[in-house]
Order: sequence, then C-alpha cells, then structure tokens
Amino acid sequence: MTEAVAPSASHRGGVVDWVTTTDHKKIGVLYMATAMAFFVVSGVLALLMRLELAQPGLQVMSEQRYNELFTMHGTGMMFFFATPMVIGLANYFTPLHLGAPDVAFPRVNALGFWMSLLGALTAFAGFLTATGAAAFGWTGYPPLSNATYSPGTGADLWIVGLLLSGTAAILGAVNLVATLFGLRAPGMTMFRLSIFNWNILVTSALIMFSFPALTAALAMLFVDRNFGGTFFDASQGGDPILFQHLFWFFGHPEVYIVILPFFGVVTEIIPVFARKPIFGYKGFVLATLLIGAYSFSVWAHHMFATGAVNSPFFAATSMLIAVPTGIKFFNWIATMWRGKISFQSPMLFCMGFLFMFLIGGVTGIFLASPPIDFAAHDTYYVVAHFHYTLVGGTVFAVFAALYFWLPKIMGRMLDERLAKLHFWLMLIGFNLTFLVQFQLGLDGMQRRIADYPSVYGGENLLSSIGAGILALSIAVFVVNFWRARRKGPPAGDDPWNGYTLEWWTTSPPPHHNFTSLPPIRSERPVFDARHGTSSTEDREG
Amino acid sequence: MTSPRWRATGAALFVLGAACTPDAADAGGEEIERLYNTFSVIAAAIFSITAGLILWSILRYRRRRGDEALPTQTHSNVGLEVVWFAIPQVIVVGLFVLSVTTLGAFDRRSPAADDDGDDTLVLQAQGFQWGWRFTYVESGVEVVGTAREDPEIVLPVGVTIAFDLVSNDVIHSFYVPRFLLKRDVVPGLDNRVEVTIEEPGTYDGKCAEFCGLLHAEMNFSIRAVAADEFEAWLNERQLEMESGVPTRD
Repeated sequence: MTEAVAPSASHRGGVVDWVTTTDHKKIGVLYMATAMAFFVVSGVLALLMRLELAQPGLQVMSEQRYNELFTMHGTGMMFFFATPMVIGLANYFTPLHLGAPDVAFPRVNALGFWMSLLGALTAFAGFLTATGAAAFGWTGYPPLSNATYSPGTGADLWIVGLLLSGTAAILGAVNLVATLFGLRAPGMTMFRLSIFNWNILVTSALIMFSFPALTAALAMLFVDRNFGGTFFDASQGGDPILFQHLFWFFGHPEVYIVILPFFGVVTEIIPVFARKPIFGYKGFVLATLLIGAYSFSVWAHHMFATGAVNSPFFAATSMLIAVPTGIKFFNWIATMWRGKISFQSPMLFCMGFLFMFLIGGVTGIFLASPPIDFAAHDTYYVVAHFHYTLVGGTVFAVFAALYFWLPKIMGRMLDERLAKLHFWLMLIGFNLTFLVQFQLGLDGMQRRIADYPSVYGGENLLSSIGAGILALSIAVFVVNFWRARRKGPPAGDDPWNGYTLEWWTTSPPPHHNFTSLPPIRSERPVFDARHGTSSTEDREG
Repeated sequence: MTSPRWRATGAALFVLGAACTPDAADAGGEEIERLYNTFSVIAAAIFSITAGLILWSILRYRRRRGDEALPTQTHSNVGLEVVWFAIPQVIVVGLFVLSVTTLGAFDRRSPAADDDGDDTLVLQAQGFQWGWRFTYVESGVEVVGTAREDPEIVLPVGVTIAFDLVSNDVIHSFYVPRFLLKRDVVPGLDNRVEVTIEEPGTYDGKCAEFCGLLHAEMNFSIRAVAADEFEAWLNERQLEMESGVPTRD
C-alpha cells in the first residue's frame, strides 16, 4: 500500500484535463456526474407532473406540456440516468476489482462518454424548439410518433439523441467485456471475479445484443418520418406492431441492464457489512447468467393487450425469470444469516433495496399473467410496479453504491446522520408516492393522463405529497455530498473493511490504480490478506 | 375518510395483498378477479415469508458494539440452494397453469368473427383522435362521441356482446375497468373482445393506450339494461336515424 495522497490529487487539472482524459476513473466520474445531473433534471420533470396531478383538472400546465414531461422523464431516467450510471460505475470499479490499470480501450471509452452526453443534450434540446420536446412517451410507438401525428422537430431530436447514446452504450459494453476477459490481474480467474463484475459482464452482453434492435427500430422510424418510409404504416403494408417487437426486444433486456449491476452492488455491500463471505457465489453467478439468457425471451409481455402475441409462451418465460431473482434473495438472506451486521448508510440502502425490490418483483408476477395484465396493463398499477423495481431497486442501490464508494472516489467520508435522514425520508416519500398507485391502477386510472376523474383525487394527492418528500430526501443527499466534498473527514484506504481490490489502494486511487496487489486466491482478496488466507480451495473442502 | 376507497387505500398501505380489483361486472372479469385474488394470496405469502426472513436477519444478527470477532465464514450449502431453486420454480409453474387456464376460458368465449352465435350482439368500436364511434353492426345504429362529449352506448345484460376494434389513425386501447379488460385498437389489426354483462348499471370506458394530446378525454360510458329495454332503445335510435330527427334530448 502507498501513503495516502491528498484527496483531490487525481482530480487536479482544469477543464482541458477533464475533456481530454482517457483515465477510466475520470471517465467514470464524468459518467456518474452526468447521470446524477439527468437524474435531478428528470426528477424535476416528475415533480412538475405530480404537481399537476395533485388535483383533478388542469392547473399548472397544458396537456401538450404534460405529454412532453412524461416522455422526457422516462427517456431521461432510462437512457441518460440509469444506463450511464451503470457504465459509470463499471468504468470506475470494473478495472479496480480486476486489479487492472485501466479499461481495454481507453480512447473508445472517452468517445463513448462524449457521445452519450451529446445524445442526452440532443434529446433534451427538443424543449428549445418551437413545438416542444417529443411527446409520445419514452416508448415512441408509431403511428403516434410518425410525421403525421408528431410533426415537430423535438421528435427527430429524440430519435437522434437515443441513437447517439445507444451507440455509446454499445461502445462502453464492448470495452467492458474486453476488459473483463483481457485485463484480469494474475490469479484473478473467472470464478474469483467480484459478483459486481459478473453482473457487469452479463449486463454488457445484454447491451451488445439488445441496443442494436433499438437502433434498428429508431432508424426505421427516422426513415418513416423523414424519407417517406412505410415500415410502420399499416395503410401501406407496414406494421405498427413490428416497432413494438423491436422496441421491447431492446426494452426488456434494458430493465435488466439497469438492475443487474445493482444486484451486483448489493451483493458486494451486504457481505462486507455482515462480515461474512457471499453465500452461494456460484449460485449467484448461475442466477445472473440465467436472468441474462431469459431476459431475451420475455419482451412481448409488454404487448399482451395488443392481442397479437403468443401470450402463453411469454407468460411462461416472464414467470420463469422470477426464479433466479428469487434465488438471489435467498442468497442475500443467507449471507446475513448469523452474520454480525452493522447498518451504516450503504447497508441501510441495501436493506431498503431488498424490501422495495421485493414488492416490485412480486407485483411483476401479477403482470406476467396475461389475464391479470388485461386489467392492469397501461394503468397506474404498472407505473407503481416498475417504479418499485427502478426506484425501489435501482435508485436505492445507486445510493447504496454512492455511500459505499464515494469515500473511495473523493477520499472523504459522507456524514452518517444526514445519510440516515436521507434514507428514512426517501423510504417514506417513495412508498407514499407509489404504494397508492397500485390501487389507483386497479380502480382504472390509466397512465399518461394529465387530468383524471375526481374519484381518484385522494390517492393522487397522497402520491404528490410523497413525491415532495422524496425530492426533499434527494436534496439532503446533495447537501451531504457537497459538504463532504469540501470538509468530510478523510476516508483512508479502506473505511468499511472491504473485500475487493479497490480497498487495497489509496482513496482516490493513483493514476494507474495500484502500486502493489495482494495475492488473489478468492473473490475477496483484501479480506484474505488481512485475515489470513481463506482460499477457494478451503471453501471446496 | 371512511369511504370504501379510503379503507382500501389504507389497507393497501399496510398489506400489499390488500390492494384489490373493482367488483367485476362481466363474466370474463369475474374470472380475472378470481385469478387476481388467488395470485394475491400466494403473493402475500411469498412477501411475508421473504420480508420476514430479511427482517429477522436485520433484528437478530446486528453486530454488538465492540464485538470485533468474525462470525463463522459460511460459503455455501448446495442442498439448501437446490431447495430454494426448486420451490419458486414449482410456484411459478402453478401460477402459469392457473393463468393459462383462465386465458383458455377467454379464448373459448372469443370465437373468430365468422362463427358468431346467432344471439351475439356485434358492435364495431372505432377509436380515433380523440373519441369513439360505436356502430351496432346489424341495425346500423351509430353512437359517436368526442373528447368534449362522451358517447353513451346502451347494451343488454346477459347477452354475449362482441366489439370489433378498429382504428384508422394511431393505436388506442379499449378499456372498461369494471370488465377488468382492455384490448388495443391497432391500425391494420382486427381485434375483437367479447363480454357478457351480468349486472345492470353504468360503466365507464376509456382509452388506455396513449394516443396524443387529448388521450385523457377519450372516454365513453356503457349503460347496461334489461334486454327488452335495450330493444326499445335500439328501435328508437333506428327510427331517429331513418327520420333524421332526434327524438331525444
């Protein structure tokens, strides 16, 4: 281990340095900072929607504006927050977990980031056009999204923005796969990879195989809109349902793209705070591979209501995919079982993740059943379900990751009291916002409406109050982060008694990450080095 | 604060399984309601057991202050893992069979358009930006509504009613919450849904697929009445059409 350097040493340098950097850590920070910025922007759009929905009738904005807001909220959260956040975390921590000095293709990495930023800015530039941003939902179904029904420039900017950021994601994934196969330190066999890295490997494969379908769909839509194409025009022999197939062939793997890495994050954090190894390492790996494989066979459960898909097949696959996720839950519980658990902020957010994602997962089973989906599809039931997976799952785990790893990235600790305040406000605000939406959906309130019958007023008001509390909790995090950045106590190399290799080096790590490495004989080399050996061989015995 | 809605919401806040569907008004909806209730019981059990185990671990295995000794380093237990792979697998197979059985009941009740039973009442439901046009196919009676003025159709109870769903602009979705049913209305795709309304009453209908600016206003309502009352209404509308003079309103 080297002497701790000043916290800001590796971040020194001006704008030129940040713009030209090919260092995986700086690119990781750029990705994460951009992702968090779009999280805030897209979150503000959601708050404006909840403001409009607090009461029946239109008070705050026009229908047109509301339609732009939910379109860009979904687009922003999926494409410019969640996906780049995954690539950012992987950028920073995949090489560190491997004991590698950087990613395999540092310049491709830089290209990927700047393309993804350009894509995000392009899509959001729709707000600056005379006809406003895209307003056909993040799913962009034609014919609504074609030139006849959505003539504005905002729609074309949306397509181009998604094409750019999608291509960037593919570049990032290729790079990560090459890194995971090519840059493992001596001793780092595949079955000694961190579970985080296993999840990044499977996620990268999902990106490489699913984003091209989106690219194809968007390119065809662009041709339909601008060059007289008829791919999705039923009156000319095209098929609007084709777009839905292509979109969801991407779209369902996409939801695993933004959750699998966070299964990885949670699987790294829980053992550290329970002071035990991961229970069932190979089971975790198998479950991750199964989810990755199944995720390409479930897409048409988004299309049961079209009446144009083989419902029993997609119902079967959609229910089967719950099984490997269930395995993970039992492995997480078994990891905590008879442990000695401390509940600092990263672990607290992992516990929030477990409960919230459990609700998201269980309600997902309902939607996998075609008859129930006939009732619940396109209602607030679905909105509630996927927010439990994407906020209850992904966002809770994003904050677990940030509380866990920001001390490594900044070299300074965040304040635990503010972190706890953040957690409880977020848990209360989130549940208040979304739990009532299950009932709203069953009662028949459909998605994507700015106005609703007054019978839904009570739940909607509760939901809007919840959204305010949720926003407040994020503000607490921002304050905590800002204070810690300037005057947080030094983190030292290893504030959590971590297991994986990032805790062997300084906080933040030097330019090429490591000046020495411990022997790597299991998936937790730093633990082995500090507690005497506990090699893979011992475990098999 | 004591209306059924509030009590349902309050319950939903505390127990996931307490969220419930509206009371189904048609035969197919009743089957979905039963399926939903079965799922709820199983889901509540899965949730309680899993959440209970997590909660137990949190409460029971907290690290005591100053306890620096490592707990036993357990790595895996293949037997246990096979068991908790097998149990969910069996549960989802069961849920799948239940779902497909209910789905099969639907298919039997939704014959292809060319073998209508004689007593099936067929309506064409055309969705457009932003309203619905209902045509009683046999009699030619038409009911049209727009975003400003919702159309109201009258239907008989106890009779199989088929809706042929048509769109010439964008995708809409025919949705009646009390039937627990929706089906997309897609240009170029012939979709049909069948319902048998069991209780007289007025039921709200909506567009469930986002279809542009006034999507929220694209509503209709169904007034379900006894068969003879329906016949009288239909005859009246037919006379109106032929004379071109509205006899109502």
